[in-house]
This record gives sequence, C-alpha cells and structure tokens, in this order.
Amino acid sequence: MKFNRRRLALTLLAATPVTALATTSAEGARTATASGSLTVWVDSVRLPAAKLYAKTHPKVKLHIVTFDGDSNGATTLQAKIQLWNRTGHGWPDVIFSEQVNDPVWMASKPFDYAADLGKGVFPTSIVKQIPGPSIAQCTVTGHLVCIQDNLAQEVLYYNKKLMSQFGYSVPKTWQQWAALGDKVAKDHPGYIIGTLGDSYGHWLYLWANQCPLSSLKGPNTVLINASDPHCTQMANLLDPLLANKSVSDVTVFSPDFAKQYGGSADKVLMMPGPTWYAYAVFRDTLKLPAGEWATSTPLQWGSGPVTTGQVGGGPWIISRHTKNMAAALDFVKWNVTTAKTNTKEPNYAAVSPGYPSYKPAAAAWLKSLNADPFFAAPPGPAMQAAANDIWKGWNLVTYPDQPVWSNSVVTQLVAGKSLSSLLPALGQGLSQAAQAAGYKVVSK
Amino acid sequence: MEAARKRGLHVPRGLPFVLPYLPFLVVFGLAPTAYALDLAFTNAGGGWAWFHNFVRTYNDYRFMPAFKHVLLYTSVWLATLVVLVVGLALLLHGRANRVSSTFRFVFYMPGALAGAAAVLVWLFMLDPVVSPGSFFLRHVLGATLFAQAIAPANLPYIFAMIAFWTGAGGWIVVMYGALNTIPHDLEEAARIDGAGPIAIALRLKLPLMRKWIAYMVILSFATGTQLFVEPQLVNQASLGLVPDTWSANQLAYQLAFRYADFNGAAAIAVDLLVIGLVGAVLIVTRTGLFRTDD
Amino acid sequence: MRPATLGLRFAILAAFAVFFAAPVLWLVLAPTKADHALVTSSPFSFGSFHQLALAWKHLNAFSDHIYRRWIGNSLYYALSATAITLAVGVPAGYGLAFGRFRGRKLILSSTLVVMIIPGAALVLPIFLELNAMHLLGRSLSVILPFAFFPFGVYLAYIYYSTALPPGLLDAARVDGCTEAQAFVRVALPLAKPIVALVFFFSFVADWNNFFLPLTVLADSSQYPIQVGLSDLLSSTPSFNPAQGGGGQSVNIFRPELALATLLAIVPVAIVFLLSQRALVRGLVGGAVKE
Repeated sequence: MKFNRRRLALTLLAATPVTALATTSAEGARTATASGSLTVWVDSVRLPAAKLYAKTHPKVKLHIVTFDGDSNGATTLQAKIQLWNRTGHGWPDVIFSEQVNDPVWMASKPFDYAADLGKGVFPTSIVKQIPGPSIAQCTVTGHLVCIQDNLAQEVLYYNKKLMSQFGYSVPKTWQQWAALGDKVAKDHPGYIIGTLGDSYGHWLYLWANQCPLSSLKGPNTVLINASDPHCTQMANLLDPLLANKSVSDVTVFSPDFAKQYGGSADKVLMMPGPTWYAYAVFRDTLKLPAGEWATSTPLQWGSGPVTTGQVGGGPWIISRHTKNMAAALDFVKWNVTTAKTNTKEPNYAAVSPGYPSYKPAAAAWLKSLNADPFFAAPPGPAMQAAANDIWKGWNLVTYPDQPVWSNSVVTQLVAGKSLSSLLPALGQGLSQAAQAAGYKVVSK
Repeated sequence: MEAARKRGLHVPRGLPFVLPYLPFLVVFGLAPTAYALDLAFTNAGGGWAWFHNFVRTYNDYRFMPAFKHVLLYTSVWLATLVVLVVGLALLLHGRANRVSSTFRFVFYMPGALAGAAAVLVWLFMLDPVVSPGSFFLRHVLGATLFAQAIAPANLPYIFAMIAFWTGAGGWIVVMYGALNTIPHDLEEAARIDGAGPIAIALRLKLPLMRKWIAYMVILSFATGTQLFVEPQLVNQASLGLVPDTWSANQLAYQLAFRYADFNGAAAIAVDLLVIGLVGAVLIVTRTGLFRTDD
Repeated sequence: MRPATLGLRFAILAAFAVFFAAPVLWLVLAPTKADHALVTSSPFSFGSFHQLALAWKHLNAFSDHIYRRWIGNSLYYALSATAITLAVGVPAGYGLAFGRFRGRKLILSSTLVVMIIPGAALVLPIFLELNAMHLLGRSLSVILPFAFFPFGVYLAYIYYSTALPPGLLDAARVDGCTEAQAFVRVALPLAKPIVALVFFFSFVADWNNFFLPLTVLADSSQYPIQVGLSDLLSSTPSFNPAQGGGGQSVNIFRPELALATLLAIVPVAIVFLLSQRALVRGLVGGAVKE
C-alpha cells in the first residue's frame, strides 16, 4: 500500500478528538467551537431554547428529542436509562429533567448516568455565579452532577389592588398571613390566600418552615420527622384556614380552581408560590387581570429566619457516556447563560421562561420582568432576595416525595380532613418510600 | 391417507399450517415467559433465590393494596362485562338490522379510544366542573371536585367503568357474530313452538354462546389482573393523587424500572400468572373449551 | 314482538347508547372551543370552526409536525403487524382446530398461558431478544412482537372448530385433495368473517398498544400515536404544570389534546366499519352443523 504522508497527517489530525481540546482547561471549553453530533432530551418547555441553539450553532448536528420531562415522580428516565445501560448504547448526551431529584439517582448505581461536572469541567466562572443552594442541590456525594436551569424559590405573591382595596397590609410573617386569612374569611368570603391542593404543597408550606421531612444525615440515612414542631406548628396554622376556606384544597391548575378564583372572578388575594408562577399561573393559567400583582419576601415564622421553599427548578444533566463532551458542555452552558441573557431575542419569553440560575442572566430576566406592565409593582426584588433563602435542610433524595404528599394528604384534605391529622400518614408514607429506596430512616 | 403414504412422507395433519406461528410463539411468548420465571427465582447476581423474591415483594407495603385493588376491579369488571355484554348482544340480535348495526357502532365507538385517549376523555367526564355527567357525579358519587371523584374508594369502580366503556363494544361485536352462527331454522323452530324472545334467548342462544362467553371471561380475567394503562395515566394526569403502584402490574413496573429490581418484578408477574392460570383452568374445565367435536 | 317489549328493549339500548356516545360527542365538540370555554360553556355546545382550525394549527405545529408522524407510525406498525398476524395466525388456527399431531394441545395451552401473562414481565426479555437481534430502535422491534397475536390464533381456532364441519374437509380429502388444497378450497372461502374479526382485533390491539413501544423506541418521532398522546398529555400545561415556568408557549391545551385524541380514533373507526360488514353477513351461512 502506498504510503501517503499527506493522508496520514490528515488522518491523524482528524483522529484527534475534540474532547481532548476541551478537557485541557476550563476556559478551553469556552473557546473551542462546539461541533459534531449531539443528542439532547428536553421537555416541551425547553424546546424553543434547544431549537434556537441548533439555529445559532450550525456546526453542531443537534438531534432534539422531546419527552415528558419526567415530572411529578414519573419513572420515564429510570426506565430509559436502565434499558440503555443494558444495551450499552443509546444514551442522550444531555437531559433536561423537570424532576429536581433526578440527578441524585442518576449519579448513583445502578443508573450511573450523570457526568461529573466539578473541578472545572463545567466552567467554574459560571458555577461561581450560580447561587450556593442551587449548586448544593446539584452536588451528590461531593460531585457536581448537574446545573440548574432556573431557580424556583418561593415568594409571597399578593394582589396589590385588592389588598389596598380591602385595607390590608402585606404580611411579613406566617402568623400575620394567617390572621389575614381569618379576616378574609369573615369580611370577604370567597377570596383565598393560598392553596394546599398542589402536588407540591408540602414544599410551599412545610419546606418553607423548615419541617424535616427529607433531611439527609448521611449518604443513605434520611431524617423524617413529621411530628417536629416546625411541621406541627405550620399544620396548626393552616387547619383553621382550610376550615374557613381562605386556603383552598384544590390545585391551582385544575379547571375548578380557574373557574372559581381565576379570570374575571379574580378571587386570589395572596398566594405563596415559586418564581415561575408570575407568568405561568397568574397570567397564563388563571388569566387574572393585569396591573394587580406584586411580590413580597417569603413569609417567616415570627421573628425566625427567613426560610423558604422551592418548587422545581429543573436541572441539566450531561451523560457520563457522551462522546462529545465539548458540545454537551457548550449546549448546557449556552442554555444557562447566553439564552437567558439575550433579552433582545424575539423568542425570549419562550427561550427563557423561568428565573435564570446564572446571576447575569437573572439580572437581564429580572429587568424585563420588572418592566412588564402585567405587574402592579416590580416583582423582581423579592425574588432576588429569596434566591438565597431556600432552606438547606430539605435535601434531595433518590425517591420523589410529591406522590406521597398527593396520595396520602391531598386526597384526604379534599375529603375534609385536617392537615394536622394527616401529618403522621405523610411521615409514614415518606418513610416507606425512603426504605423501599434503600435509605435508613431516623427521626432525630 | 393412502395418497400421503404413497408419497412416502407422512406429515402430521395440520402441522404445516401451524409451523409459521411457532417461531413467534417461542420468541415472543415462551422464551420471554421462561426468562421471566428464571428472573423470579434468581437474585440480581444470577444465583438461585428460592422463594425469596416472592416473600420480599409480598412484604412490600404496596403489595397487598395493589392486589386487593386489582382483584376487586377484576370482579366488578367481569360481572358487568358478562351480564351487560351478553345482555346487550342478545338485545341487539333482533330483526331490525339497520337499527342494530347503528347501535353496535355506537357501542363500539369508545373502543376506538385506546388507553391514553379514553383516560383523557374520562378525566373530563369525571370532573364535575366540566363533565356533561356532572349530575351523576354530584348525586351518585357525591363529588363536587375531580379529586373527590377519583377518591381511593371509587377507583376500582371507575376503572371498571372505563374498561367497560372501551372494551364492551368489541366483545358485543364478537358475541353478535357468535349469535349469527346460530342457524335460523333453530330459532324459527323454537318460535313456532311458542317460545317467547326471553325464553329463546336464555334457553337457545345463551348455551350456544357458551364457548365465546368462556373465552371472553378468561381473557378479561387476564387483562383485568394486568390493569396498567388506566391507573398509570390517571396517576400522570392527577399529578399523583392516584399512586403509581395502584395496580399489581404497576408495582411490577416500578420495581423493574425505578428500583432496577427485575427479580421482584418477575415475582409479581408470576403471581399474576398463577392467578390468571387458576382462573383459566377453572373456566376451561367447567365449560369444556378444549373439546374439539369429532 | 309485543310493543311493550320492543319499547323496553329500545329504551335499554338507548340508555347505553347515551353512556357510550356522550363522552365521544363531548370529544368531537371540544376542539371547537377555546380552552377556557371548555370550563365555562356547556359541554355539548359547538364553539366555532375558527377555534377548530386554530387547534389543528397548534397541534400540527407541536414539535415539528410530530403528530402526523405519530399517526403515520401507528398505521405502519399496525398494518404491517396485522398482515403478518393474518398470514400466520389464520392457518395456525385452522391447523390447531383440525390437526392431528403431537403437541397440538400443548401449543394450544401455551398460547392460552402466554395470553395471560402480564405484559410488563415480558417486556424486558423481549427487549433483550430484540437487542441481540440488533433490532432495537427499528420498526421491526415493534412490528414483530405485535405480529405475535395469540388471541388471533385462538379466535381462528374457535372459529374453525365451531363453524367448519369436519365433514366438509373429509369430503374434500375423499375427492383427492391434499391438505393444502383442502385448506384453500374449503377453509379459505369461509375465512372472510374470521379474517375480518382477527384483522379488527389485531389492528386495534396494535394501534392501542402502549407499553411495548414505550420501552423499545427511544426516539419520540418513532412513537405510535398512543405513546405520542401520553407525551402530548404531559406537555399540556393544565395536566403537567411544567415546573420552572413556561409551557404556555407550547400551545397545547385541552382543545388541542381533544383534537389529537379525536383524530387518533379515525383510522380505527374506519377499520371497524370495514370489518363490520363482513361480520354482519354472518358466519357460515350455508354449512350447518349436523
């Protein structure tokens, strides 16, 4: 065979993997142009962003697969990953999940899917600009295994117009909030100040008040104590409100809720909710009138610290098996930074639907949010302040807790039971789920 | 037979017709079953596990509820299926053929909506705010909210109703077809003898449908215990109000795919298989389904 | 039949007809209304053609026209698998009904047993087999398992054993027919109703099968419509409030979902209409059991 030096040189050059360039330095990942083929799995909400990436990065052959986002405790991704593991191929390079605890089991056996993004693999300059609690959530057994796409800290939403109309001042504590609930039930029945009927009600009220239902005490030990004072005091606070109907037991997304409280009925006075409620719930789902809504800092218990809950904030996870780490990193990086910073992008609202985790992008997003005439007052400041208040004592575990809340508490709330009476069942359900998932459960 | 012998090759009668089916039966029926049995009696490392998987899954906190749900659901469904399908088929098998075929089409229509589609429709039917049947929901079920309509106690009946709604039409077609195999002369003879329509139905038509009814019961028993799609999708759409381990099959699925416990999943599958087999054997022996008339 | 009995019979049938038809009627009318109108206006009111067109526009635009692909996939999988099922299953039913070979009862029992086994248990073994055959992710990974339709074989077995008198076959053999000729001359002409029936059940079962395609097909553009519908369901903000915000821009709301469901039934309804005529003509008009 003829020895062709030129061909050899070209072959050697072509054989140098792009990844070698990327892993030499953290900054290297930023400067090397991403190319090659990349398969990403996104939910339909992240689809516009993924498509925009494909459009602006023609060198990358992007293959987008839309799936259900693995939300609400679904088993979609576990099933798929297990099957891919068994056949030895087929893993997507990047997955976006709506289930915040997915990276926890993805990083553990037998799934073993998540790539380690720490130690500069994912640019540390970006990591440093993402709030601590968010990074902590993406850290499993000491390794950074995901990057949160957006933050979903809980704030207090209130209807400024109605509040001033009724002569109420915005509460700062849960107790003040509850007192208003009593007033509302007496003076303006039919108006509500919150709801417990969502599948994540426990995150809004129990997590926010530091109720220990998911505290990791060790890699395989979880503290679940539903009779902790933080839990019972909140339940005792909520029970009268449930009874006098100032707190609903119906989920905000049900047609019933929309009919009763939304649209022209406009009966939502206040609502603790995550950042993404601003558009998704008040404007788009409930179709409440414009010019009425504002936010306030999360409620605190008396003079205690301001702690709040979190509802979502989906992570990006990169596959350990990816053959194109540079493009994968670039894709996630772009989604977290550029996509959310460029407010001039005509499709911006679709490309960046939530509160970005990356601080500069958050600033841009907040700027456009604060200028939106839908709100009566800029909602941004409270959200910004709350970003660091998410209670760190609620840790992510391999099993989802939403289903337990839904089928042991919400079903019974609807039947008229009080939350206090349901706390033991909640605790037991969570313990059983934890044990089935292989955890040791402690109550102290 | 002599012709065959003269040719020198004696092929067992009927076998060539069955041969193409056999690879499918083996590859997609028997081999996977054997593997499932193997999984049920071994542990994750491949070693022999005796009945350990069965005991372990039996003690799972979701096991008894799941099986109770499924058995209750299956009983309710079978009862409504047998009584109503046979009854409706008999009612249809009158003389007004165009009317009859219109009704048959109407009964069948929902069958075209498969699990996902049927659940979607019933999500609205079960929501008192949106449903055209809100009267029934409020006064029969006592539900003013969707979440109340799908209260745990109602679920077996609701799933049975959905399954009946989608499945009855197909079986009515089969039963109607079976009724059509009854020779007209027999019916005429009975009518001439003075038998009324109900007597004809019960004493002439019903016994001749016996095989088909038995077949329907066996299959419905099997599919009933295998209930998966309805509770799975209601779980999805109700955001977890209905647990994802409501039925035994769902529990098997969760064991396999959430916990990677294929051995446990296989144990539950074997449990369901045994239940289905026992039911099938009982029905087969009591109706003589396998007898080929010589 | 006395008028009273006729009236009662009609009343019962009509009541059931309402039960079966009302939800479908709701489904037909739902896409003509806007999402909030579904909640506020009467369930059986007609909205507007404009809304209907809008609903279709949104549905069609979802994820790069994937809806059309899903329907196409379902048609492809169901028709291919049913063709194989008929070619393999009807003769097999005949062979089992009239065959005299060792193992006949065994094959029958195996078929019955396999029908009773929960699908979830068989998915992993089937998946591994498909993997070994390098078929995963290809259409064959769905079509071949679908083509295994023991129910169809059983129906054919029951049909032939109840509707075809052995006397006819003996007559053909006496005439000098080989087994193959006997099948073609006697059994095939009588096969129309059973072919229609098996086609019907097989097509519908394949069209409705959810679990197998969900696990063996990785790419959502290969999904049949059922799995696609559940994907669509989880993209509908009112059923899956996308945590993290957004989802509204996806434009899939209840009317779109209702339209998607409605359009997904059309092929199956057509199949039913086609199969019905053959069934109504009756099974075995002439050849009567002694």
